[in-house]
Amino acid sequence: MPDGTVPSWEEVARDHGRFLYTVAFRLTGNDDDAQDLVQEVLLRVRKGLETYRPGSLEGWLSRITTNTFLDEVRRRRRRPTDPLPENPDRALPPSMAADEALAGGALPDDVQSALRALPADYRAAVVLCDVVGLPYQEIADALDVPVGTVRSRIHRGRAMLRQVLA
Amino acid sequence: MTATPTGGEHPGDDLSALLDGELSSAEEAAVQAHLVGCLACRHEMEAVSVARQWVRALPPVDAPFGLYERMLVPYRPRRRRLAMAMVGAAAAVAAVLVSVAPAPQAPVDPSVATLIEAHATSASVDGDPVTNLAPAGVPVSIHR
Repeated sequence: MPDGTVPSWEEVARDHGRFLYTVAFRLTGNDDDAQDLVQEVLLRVRKGLETYRPGSLEGWLSRITTNTFLDEVRRRRRRPTDPLPENPDRALPPSMAADEALAGGALPDDVQSALRALPADYRAAVVLCDVVGLPYQEIADALDVPVGTVRSRIHRGRAMLRQVLA
Repeated sequence: MTATPTGGEHPGDDLSALLDGELSSAEEAAVQAHLVGCLACRHEMEAVSVARQWVRALPPVDAPFGLYERMLVPYRPRRRRLAMAMVGAAAAVAAVLVSVAPAPQAPVDPSVATLIEAHATSASVDGDPVTNLAPAGVPVSIHR
């Protein structure tokens, strides 16, 4: 792909399908919503709605995915009849056994449920940092917030995760 | 950040930033120095460090089989889609028929006799040694 060329959605699906689905799944916490999110992201890519800046393609994709996700969360919040993707009552995972926690291990399903219990803005920052591996400045650009806000969301998000899975 | 009794400040968010390598070396030194004397912050550091490891250890997730292929479908030319659907439907009907209808037991005796005759005829021409073992005109031994 030449620099500056917007990748086609077929390219994205073929070469980055697993990455895209992983980010979508970590953000939404379930398969149905993850599939919807992936489709919406590819639609945005296909329509050329997202400005492509040559650089990390996965950084670009995760920015689109995260913003599409947050748009959807806000949309559902305005229409309370739709179930919210973040619902702490439903999302609270079972507490981990103490020895398991001490060993530093946590089951992926439990971590995923704990992620889902975080406010969407915190979850987005944590996923971009710890799943995608973006530096703080890129996360700030992606979410259009100051770096200080990113720093705070990541730290609080992690502290909440630890509490939920304590 | 919150003022501590000794006048310093708890690093708070900087603890995660330290783990992520997002602090300047001066900031990092200040946080490290604070940690030495502050048990609460050491606990907090431990907590966010564990949570960070949990999320980083999450495995990649494979997209459900066919997710991307299904997205291709709406952009496929219509006629081809219809043809594909018909082939699929025909295959499904055939599969049902095969599974429902028992294979008919065709009466084989006459055709076996015919085959032997045909073989004997061709073998007699080709000089096939098998002819000696199975001479023509023996359908009785098979036919009972």
